[in-house]
Amino acid sequence: MKKTVDVSIPVGPVHPCWKEPVRIKCETRGEHVIGTEVEMGYMKKGIERIMRGRPWQEVMFLAERVCGICSVVHNMVFIEAMESISGITPPPRAAYLRVVVNELDRMASHLLANFSYCYTIEHETLGMYLLNEREHVLDMLERITGNRVNTAYMIPGGVRYDLRPVDEKVLRETLDLLDENIARYTKMFETGPMIALRSKGVGILTKEQALEAHAVGPTARASGIAVDQRTRHPTYKEIGFEPVVRTEGDNYARIMVRFEELKQSINLIRRALAMMPDGPIRGGGICKGGEVRYSGEAPRGELTYFVKADRYGRVEDIAIQTPSIMNIDACSHYMLKGVSSIADVTSTFISSDPCIACNER
Amino acid sequence: MTEYLYEKDLRPLKYNVLAAPRQDRTVRAMAAVLGVRVQVLRRHLIERLDMSDMENMPARWEAAHAVQAGGGGHDALADALGRDLFVRKIAVFTPAEMETAYGKARALADGGTPLADAVEEGKKTLREVITP
Repeated sequence: MKKTVDVSIPVGPVHPCWKEPVRIKCETRGEHVIGTEVEMGYMKKGIERIMRGRPWQEVMFLAERVCGICSVVHNMVFIEAMESISGITPPPRAAYLRVVVNELDRMASHLLANFSYCYTIEHETLGMYLLNEREHVLDMLERITGNRVNTAYMIPGGVRYDLRPVDEKVLRETLDLLDENIARYTKMFETGPMIALRSKGVGILTKEQALEAHAVGPTARASGIAVDQRTRHPTYKEIGFEPVVRTEGDNYARIMVRFEELKQSINLIRRALAMMPDGPIRGGGICKGGEVRYSGEAPRGELTYFVKADRYGRVEDIAIQTPSIMNIDACSHYMLKGVSSIADVTSTFISSDPCIACNER
Repeated sequence: MTEYLYEKDLRPLKYNVLAAPRQDRTVRAMAAVLGVRVQVLRRHLIERLDMSDMENMPARWEAAHAVQAGGGGHDALADALGRDLFVRKIAVFTPAEMETAYGKARALADGGTPLADAVEEGKKTLREVITP
C-alpha cells in the first residue's frame, strides 16, 4: 500500500502561540501538511444554557462574558436584538457613542490579533509595539466606560455614561497618536522581508472556499468577499462605511486587512465624534416578548444572536453564532491543508484570529 | 485520523455540540431530507465530523441553501440527493459513497424511471451507509 502519511503531529492544546487551548492534529507528508483536524472542548462554558430562563438584565452581563477580547460587541448585539424585539430606538447621541466604544473594542481586538501573529512569526519587536498601542485603546475604553473589558456599557434604549468634554479631548489626542504610530507599524509589516517570507502565499483561502465555509470578517474580506454587517447598521450608514477588501487570501492579506481596519476605525470614531449631537443618552423603553435573529459585526466577523424572549423580557431560548465558528472551520479545512511547512501551521491558524472562547461558548 | 495513546473519547463533547439548538435543528432537517432517524444520523456525524465541522454545520447548511435558492446547480437529481451539500459542504458521505448512490439513481432516471423514484432509490443507498 502506498504510504501517504508520514507523521501525525498534534499541535496544542497548550502551545506558546495559542491564546486559548485547542489541539490541531496535523497529518504530514514530510514537511507538507495534508490534513488537519481540530479538537476542542477544553473550555466549554455552556453559556447559552446558563442564559436560558434568565431575565435580560442578567443575560446582558453573561453575553459579554462569552468572549473577553470582543466583549463590547456581544453586549451591543444582544442589547440591539432586545431593542429590535421591543421596538426601542436609542437616542442619536447614544447611537454614536455605541459606535465609538464598539470601534475602540475592534481596535483592541485587531491589535491583539496582529500582535499574536507577529509573535508567532518571531517578530516580537513589532508585536510588543502593537501591544503598547493596545494599552492606549484600553485606557480609552476605561475612561469612557469605567472598565477595560466587560464594560456593560450598552443598555436597552441607550448607554450608561455620557462622553465628557475632557474625555473627548483626550480621545481625540489618543486617536492622533494611534494614527501616527499604526501607520508606522503598518509600513514595518508591509516592507519587512522576513515577514513577507513567512506570510505571503502562505495559508491561502480562495474566495470559493471562503464562501463554502461561510467565512466572515477579516478572514473573508482578505479573500475578496466584501461582507461586513456594519454596512447594514443604521448608525454606520449615517457615518458612511465601506468594508476593507483584499484579494490575496493569504496570511499577509488577513493581517493587512486588520491594519487597514485599524485606520478605518480611527476615522470612524473621528467622524462619529464630529457628527454626535448633544442630547440624552438614555431614551428608556421596556423589553417585551418576541423572537429575533440579529447580526452585528464583531472584530472577527458576523456575530449573530437568536433570541426568544417572553413578555417579561425573560430569555426563553438563545443561540449564539460567533464568527470564530466559521473562521476556524475555514482555517482548519482549507488554509492549513497544503501548508508547505509544519512551522506555518501556528502562524496560519493565528492569522485567522481564532477565538476558542467564542467558538465553544 | 491516527489514534494517539492519550486520545480522549470525544463522543460526549461532540454530542453536546450536536445537541445545541441550532445544530439540533440542522441535524433534524438533514435527517428529514435523508429519511433517517435523528439518533442514527447523530451517531454517524459524531464518527465522521470533527468538532469544528460540527460547530459550523448550521452556517454551512444555510450558506448551501442560500446558494441553491440563488439558482443552484443544473442537475435536479444531484440537487435532490445533496450531491454537493452532503459531500463538500457537510461531509456526511465520502465522494465515493455519494457517487455510488448518484450513479444508481442516474441510471434509473436515464432508463425512464420518474425522478422522485430515482431520488428515493439514491437515498436508500445513502441510508445504507448511515444505518449499520
